[in-house]
Amino acid sequence: MPTISMTKVKFHMKKQHGLLALATASALMLSACGSGGAGTESKNAPAAGSGQEITLWLAGGDTNDELRAYLKKTFQETTGSTLVIEEQSWGDIVTKLTTALPDSNNTPDVVELGNTQSPTFTNVGAFSDISDMYKELGGADLLQSFVDVGTVEGANFTLPYYFGSRYMFQRKDVWSEAGVKQPTTLEEFNATVEEIANKNPRGVENFSGFFLGGQDWRNGISWVFANGGDLARKDGDQWVSTLGDSKTLKGLGQLRDIYQNASKAPADAKDATPWLYINDKDEILDEGGKSAGSTSLAAATIMAPGWAHTSIGDLGVGEDGKPVRQWNDETFGAFVLPGNDGKPAPVFAGGSNIGISAASQNQELSKELLKIIFSEDYQNMLGKSGLGPGNQKYVSSLGDDQFAKAAIGAASNSKLTPAAPGWAAVEGASILEEFFGKIAATDDLKTLADEYDKKITPMLNVKG
Amino acid sequence: MTAVQTQPEATPDSAQGTRSPHRARRRLSAPYILLIPSVAVLVAAMGYPLIWQVITSLQEFGLAQQFGQPPKFVGLQNYTQLLFDSYTWAVVARSLTFCLVCAGATMAIGIALALLMKRVHKLIRNILQTALLLAWAMPLVAAMTVWIWLFDWRRSVVNWVLTEAGLNFQGYNWLAAPLTFYVVAAIIVTWMSVPFVAFSVYAGFSQVSEEVLEAAQMDGATGLQRLLHITIPMIRPVLAIVLLLQVIWDLRVFAQIKMLQDVGSVPSETNLLGTYIYQLGTGSGDFGMSSAVSIFMLVLTLAVSWLYVRRMIREDEAT
Amino acid sequence: MSTSMRITQRRTPKISSLMWGALALFVAALWAFPVYWMLNSALLPNVTLQSSTPTFIPFGGSLDNFVAVTASGTFFSALGVSLTVTSITVVCCLSFAFLGALAISRFRFRGRKGFILALLLVQMLPAEGLFIAQYRMMANANLLNSVLGISILYIAAVVPFTIWMLRGFVTGIPVELEEAAMVDGLTRTQAFLRITFPLLAPGLVASGVYAFLQAWNEFTIALVVMTSDTSKTVPLWLRGFMQSSATRETDWGQVMAASTLVSVPVIIFFLLVQGRMSSGLVGGAVKG
Repeated sequence: MPTISMTKVKFHMKKQHGLLALATASALMLSACGSGGAGTESKNAPAAGSGQEITLWLAGGDTNDELRAYLKKTFQETTGSTLVIEEQSWGDIVTKLTTALPDSNNTPDVVELGNTQSPTFTNVGAFSDISDMYKELGGADLLQSFVDVGTVEGANFTLPYYFGSRYMFQRKDVWSEAGVKQPTTLEEFNATVEEIANKNPRGVENFSGFFLGGQDWRNGISWVFANGGDLARKDGDQWVSTLGDSKTLKGLGQLRDIYQNASKAPADAKDATPWLYINDKDEILDEGGKSAGSTSLAAATIMAPGWAHTSIGDLGVGEDGKPVRQWNDETFGAFVLPGNDGKPAPVFAGGSNIGISAASQNQELSKELLKIIFSEDYQNMLGKSGLGPGNQKYVSSLGDDQFAKAAIGAASNSKLTPAAPGWAAVEGASILEEFFGKIAATDDLKTLADEYDKKITPMLNVKG
Repeated sequence: MTAVQTQPEATPDSAQGTRSPHRARRRLSAPYILLIPSVAVLVAAMGYPLIWQVITSLQEFGLAQQFGQPPKFVGLQNYTQLLFDSYTWAVVARSLTFCLVCAGATMAIGIALALLMKRVHKLIRNILQTALLLAWAMPLVAAMTVWIWLFDWRRSVVNWVLTEAGLNFQGYNWLAAPLTFYVVAAIIVTWMSVPFVAFSVYAGFSQVSEEVLEAAQMDGATGLQRLLHITIPMIRPVLAIVLLLQVIWDLRVFAQIKMLQDVGSVPSETNLLGTYIYQLGTGSGDFGMSSAVSIFMLVLTLAVSWLYVRRMIREDEAT
Repeated sequence: MSTSMRITQRRTPKISSLMWGALALFVAALWAFPVYWMLNSALLPNVTLQSSTPTFIPFGGSLDNFVAVTASGTFFSALGVSLTVTSITVVCCLSFAFLGALAISRFRFRGRKGFILALLLVQMLPAEGLFIAQYRMMANANLLNSVLGISILYIAAVVPFTIWMLRGFVTGIPVELEEAAMVDGLTRTQAFLRITFPLLAPGLVASGVYAFLQAWNEFTIALVVMTSDTSKTVPLWLRGFMQSSATRETDWGQVMAASTLVSVPVIIFFLLVQGRMSSGLVGGAVKG
């Protein structure tokens, strides 16, 4: 390659050319920006009087269009102001709350967030104290496990928006082929699913009597709760991780039995899509006619959020001609995980809380919006859309089919993760996934639990 | 393609002795003016974040500080905590290994494909280039979704193919053990980066003078000799920069690992530096520590590439 | 290049040339398979996608997924934002970087080494920890939800790489080429435009492609600074699809259809520039 030495540099761009190029580049950039100013709206210019505007952040698309339209319309009618609704995706909501909530010029005014995310943001002062409205918005009728995660030192900051509960789905046909009957206590359940796994009536390879992912602690935690254990407790003003407590260990021991004897799920499986394993094979693949009788069924029982029932069933053809799953009462069943005291076992309840950003410049209007959200009308609308309303007076709006009944039954005894300020850090580091994933293979549960208690306790108390 | 390219007027030696003296006198200000737009945009966009990151790494800065409480300066405490944590070094070792494997594989495959492109018929070359472009054009999120399916333990195409081929891979869970997790991650990362290397190197080839190659061939140089002694040295600037960038990018790989972790595996056993920073910051709200790891990673990257960078700059000055 | 092909073909036996061709086709299939799988899945209903036996050919497939994802019209608004941001980034980035590359490859000046090092350092800084600072900066400058704001961030993210890349190409072009042309009576500017610039074309295209992809695919910065629904970019739109619901199953067929839509503009752009990457332009332009 020819060398270009310092003294031989002959390329010299005249100064004018440099400036010209610069000017061209800037002009290009400016013109491009000028023409493409899409979305350069400024929402931080508060207009006076009733023409104001507040923003509501909803997490995910579960609040459907009808609900949104109702909120906008009613808000306009009651306050004369405009409600803007922006949807944030679940996976990114923590990032967005972290950046936008402290910024008083750009913060959303009312925010929905995951129930387990609530303690962390509540503890750092992200939300306004709405204790004065607590009674008006439902008081003791609100789902108390959700109220707790929005409470700091007796003051209410976030309140339950909706809940979804977890219950069991079973293959009735496989259960009866195994010759087992419906369990009425947790211990019976444990024994039953183990028996089904051992009998494996259809000789399916890798068959689970009850499919429970190794890292699926949100489902597995029910066994801890049902035995009176918990993930953490507050000792004075300090939170302590309690995996190694005897009651927790009892539940974890039952869980280990299930992992070892009833479930063939991978040790690193989460709760993503367990319903895949209790459906039969997709016959659509066998239009050629072969292997018609075989099945890809891999589990007799699963535990899943209630909405999973739309993904469970025989393969049929929907109204639009596309294949869909159609629930079949002969084959499939739904029931609530039984506890040891005749009541349902406490299950972890998914769902969300809602609160007013402390940095919001529209506190009064935001309170008006909360009043609409917690009104009888709206709560019933939530139930009709399949979302468990935060106010327990209105759960009957969920309907009275078996799924609604199971959902209401499971929710009646639901529990949540500890309201510790550092809980988000524990979830963020996936420590419980890791711990639960190791249960199946350990001989010494107590040592393992103590080891993870040591990791978790300091994280719980991190104050920021 | 048939337009035979010759460079009659452009042979390197033809210009000797024709320069007039005044041309050698450069305007001193010219390079600075040329740099204004780049420097301006870099300072505008990176200045504050960089300073923020350095300052935050010296503070106890958590979510509460982000929500307005005054942060506390703790000096180098975050750094000492970091350096005396054996976990940090485990993550560093993993990241370096992963980076070297991926960057090495990517360069080797990329250069091989660039050579292959030169070798095959135009039609086949177009097919190959289009395939690479398609892979390159696939949005990261989409690509990851597809790859995760391809390796899913229950319905994966890979397991299906291996099982059909007579190996019992039914239900094999690739993401459960760290080693196979990294194998999957490395395949994905390499698949994503090869098109860039292949095209860059191929573009570099187009600068290699045909006359020189033909001359060498007439002198009896074999294809391999021509490649090693003429082509590679001539495209070294391109190769050097591409390799360096691969090392940097593979060291800071984040999205691919994060998305795989979301599906399976034990995060603490599969964390690389990128996901570790994310877990500390966004995941746990410890932005002080997360900033310290970021700065640490910056220094580490510089250290890893330092000899190489220095050589590159030296060579650059010698030219 | 064409010359070299003639040479290799002349010298290489037929068999090995066939072998290379077969190898190239195999590699092509390997690299394109995930793309094919995306398209295949986009045409299939969700139920089929959950089966444990893969469906390799979308028999009975339909465009329903595409219809479903475009129905709300949000795709086209996101497309508009993304196209604008990406064009600004590519144009500004290439112009800025071209000037910068000229400066560091054709001049020796005080601060040059420092600048080169700074370019590298900027590349090495991990992005995962920067989002708070980036948000604060944009909020203070009143540039949240602004195409200008995010473009500045993108240009800064891509410019260092582009300067490095172009620098390699500029250095590879002998100054003597221009001089020879000047001997033939061209002015310095003409010589540059006719000789040097075309030789840079592959480099510009490669860098432009890189800038395009970065701006098109970038997610984290967009997530943080493009907060309102109307200013969402295409990756944000796609992400919204994947995680739209806590109470419904993700419809993977729709996600794949959405992914396909997001890929289409990139593919069009690539096919446009692919021709320019090949030697036709280089060869033709050098002849003047």
